[in-house]
Amino acid sequence: MSQIVLSLGFGLVTASILAMGAVGFTLQFGVTNLFNLAFGESMTVSAFAAYIAHNDLHSNMWLAMAAGGLAGMVLSLMISRLIYLPFLRRGTAQFAMVMVTVAVSIIGKNVLSAMSGSGFYSYQLPPERPVHVLGMVFSPRQLVIIGLAAASLLGLHALFRYSRLGKAMRATSDDAGLARSVGIPTTHLISAAWLLSGLLAGLAGVALAMDLGTFDFNMGGNFLLIIVAAAVFGSVGEPYGAIAGALVIGIASELAAIVNPELKNVVAFGILVLVLLLRPEGLISGRVQMRAEVAA
Amino acid sequence: MSPALQSYVATLLVYLAVNSIACWGLNLQFGVGGVMNFAFILYQSIGAYITAVLTLPRAAPGVPETYILGWHLPWPLPLAGAAVSGALLALAVGSFALRPRRRDFQATVMLVVSIIAATLVTSEQGWFNGGQGLFAIPQPFSGRLNLGISGYDWFFLGLVAVFAAVVLFFTDRLTGSPWGRRLRAMRDNAEAAESLGTGVRTESLKVYVIGGAIAAVSGGLLVEFIGAWSPAAWGTGETFIFFVAIIVGGLGNNFGAFFGALLVLGVFLELPTFLPTIGSSNTEESVQAAAIGVLILIFLWWRPQGVFPERKHALSRFMPAAAPEPAPGPSQPGTTLSVSDLSRDFGGVRAVDKVSFELLPGTATGLIGPNGAGKSTALKLIAGALKPAAGQVVVGAVNVAGWAPHKVSRLGVIRTFQHTSEFARLTVLENLLAAAPGQPGDSFGGSLLGRRHWRPRQRELLAQAAALLADFQLTELADEYAGRLSGGQRRLVEIMRALMAQPKILLLDEPMAGVNPTLRLTIEEHLRRLRDGGLTMLMVEHELSSVERVCDSVIVMAQGRVLATGTMAELRSNKEVVDAYLVG
Repeated sequence: MSQIVLSLGFGLVTASILAMGAVGFTLQFGVTNLFNLAFGESMTVSAFAAYIAHNDLHSNMWLAMAAGGLAGMVLSLMISRLIYLPFLRRGTAQFAMVMVTVAVSIIGKNVLSAMSGSGFYSYQLPPERPVHVLGMVFSPRQLVIIGLAAASLLGLHALFRYSRLGKAMRATSDDAGLARSVGIPTTHLISAAWLLSGLLAGLAGVALAMDLGTFDFNMGGNFLLIIVAAAVFGSVGEPYGAIAGALVIGIASELAAIVNPELKNVVAFGILVLVLLLRPEGLISGRVQMRAEVAA
Repeated sequence: MSPALQSYVATLLVYLAVNSIACWGLNLQFGVGGVMNFAFILYQSIGAYITAVLTLPRAAPGVPETYILGWHLPWPLPLAGAAVSGALLALAVGSFALRPRRRDFQATVMLVVSIIAATLVTSEQGWFNGGQGLFAIPQPFSGRLNLGISGYDWFFLGLVAVFAAVVLFFTDRLTGSPWGRRLRAMRDNAEAAESLGTGVRTESLKVYVIGGAIAAVSGGLLVEFIGAWSPAAWGTGETFIFFVAIIVGGLGNNFGAFFGALLVLGVFLELPTFLPTIGSSNTEESVQAAAIGVLILIFLWWRPQGVFPERKHALSRFMPAAAPEPAPGPSQPGTTLSVSDLSRDFGGVRAVDKVSFELLPGTATGLIGPNGAGKSTALKLIAGALKPAAGQVVVGAVNVAGWAPHKVSRLGVIRTFQHTSEFARLTVLENLLAAAPGQPGDSFGGSLLGRRHWRPRQRELLAQAAALLADFQLTELADEYAGRLSGGQRRLVEIMRALMAQPKILLLDEPMAGVNPTLRLTIEEHLRRLRDGGLTMLMVEHELSSVERVCDSVIVMAQGRVLATGTMAELRSNKEVVDAYLVG
């Protein structure tokens, strides 16, 4: 029993990182309709940016985290402006766009590998005293991660709910053509979506690297697998669905790890398969389908 | 040539042949069928593993190598086992991975499958000896032939060449058949293909299974040659090397796929060994892999069709010169369509609310109303593109409410689309042929039987198509890619295509949208003639003058309900209708 409660704690940490990643992934998909398989590389680059800030420039971890977030934003905007948007403007087909994102992912991963070598990196943070909460054990750093996720997702919720930018983003996500026709400047919005998605990728990347202790050039690419599972679980393009997916998959995979750590990804995958069999377009597919129909 | 060089050349050629087989398999899936198999390497791999464990004897006790089966079967049974295992795995994976409609979605799920499978195979020591993999797999007939090393390599090349020839013949035959045309149509526009009777999920699964079996055979041949296989041989990155090969070579073109295999082998796998080493071997590998990414971007930007683009299937030369038949009306009379209490809501909004009407053969009915009245939704509910929440759609005597669209269309309910939905990379003539039912070559089995099996029917269809093309004055454009036509011409193609499908009930969704006035008159004349020929027709249209000229009666919808029914003249004097629609 205590083992389960303990794992619940780990699950909460994983779910927090996953939630930032999955919301970033799905938000960008919702606004741009692009399935970006290079998302994981944005996470890795950000983790390395924070590493440089912390280990080489000796800034504290908060600043390093901010540096990671900033790196994610810059990279995300650059890739979208320099590569994805030109291809989309050419009318590149949907299938070819996935190939484009795969190509970017391959290039990113291998440039990182060539620059970083095959070794593992670590932020070399000082050891901390664990904190006990309701039978769960966290390091203060993990509590920071959970807090970071909660804060950024609440911020996002407020943005969607109350700001003009957020409302316009939701409108664009529902129907880009209609949004444009009522005077919403969709190009700015799309840039904003890439920036936000990059920020979340960056924060998730640094958080993941902190949580894992060590990381290498493969970190983000490997994590993308469960990000996709979480996003598909909640219907891709639905931020709230992605949060639900992150919670379910994050906690389920840590519980499975009690039995065998190798099972983590397998359980995430099992949930993905189950969702696909039961609801091929994801948990809240009704809304997505409605959009497609109303738009058509 | 020295024996060592001979052996090297033979080895390269074996790799080329094996890679070509794999590329043809992937080309069938992706280039022809549009299925993005991002788990491709997994299929080559299962073929290799199964071939190995069927060839090897049971693992001796005390030996650290562990694996399943160990049946020690004689050649070529292990390869047959490989093909079966590839097909079965594809069936299992396809049953869930092909469920989402978006191809990029499917592709990502397959990528996940591939990664998970690699993790499992590496960690499960008992399956295929875990991370170390299988080794010392005997080569076929080795020990029984006394050929020397390079001699054996040439012998094996001969074996692989036979397999390559068979796979090439097989995939060419499938691609060139009416079934291949159906697959290409589905690749270009899955929704439209579905509305013309293609079960997209089933056909995608078929092509996925066939490609999986071919990939597995390529893996089996590879492991028979190199004698070892381990997880290091099939990272997910390998899948994209095959994608690079067929994208660079030319999607949908088997020669292009061969060229891609040659290029990848030469440029990426062999050339670097002749280059001076820069940095560590790790850096070199990374640079090489990054170059693959760059190559994908370059080709998708400058030459997405590849070095050898898909061959154009110019069939107009087989059309009879003068139309031997009179302009084909529907070859069979229409049937009754009665809709009762049809309803559907979207998240609390009643898009269609208890709509009922009956349409008789030989009549054309207009469906008009303001934007958002639920007209298109009603059409989709009838055609099966949307599932109704309640109500009945009775075609003849069959209630088809809730049926899948391709099944509804097989009863003769054919719809056209609000946005043009041509099969862009098929010629105009092929667009027509792809829609026609009753083609014996239009199935996997039928396509294997070859030309002689389906040519007679193709001749009939070519005659029908020729008559239609002459009728719509598009004969000149028969061999043009449909995607290259003007908006109005594409409308005509869509209508002709619907007619080729031998409709009993024709559902037209804004056929006049984007069509110039002259062409509009032509379309109207055709529709009137079809109606008089006995077809049942329902037409959603905003162009009221066209509705008036074509339709006998008109249904007005507003806010999901039927507001009124009558002739245009009657409706003009109905105050409610005028208020709801005609004025404001």
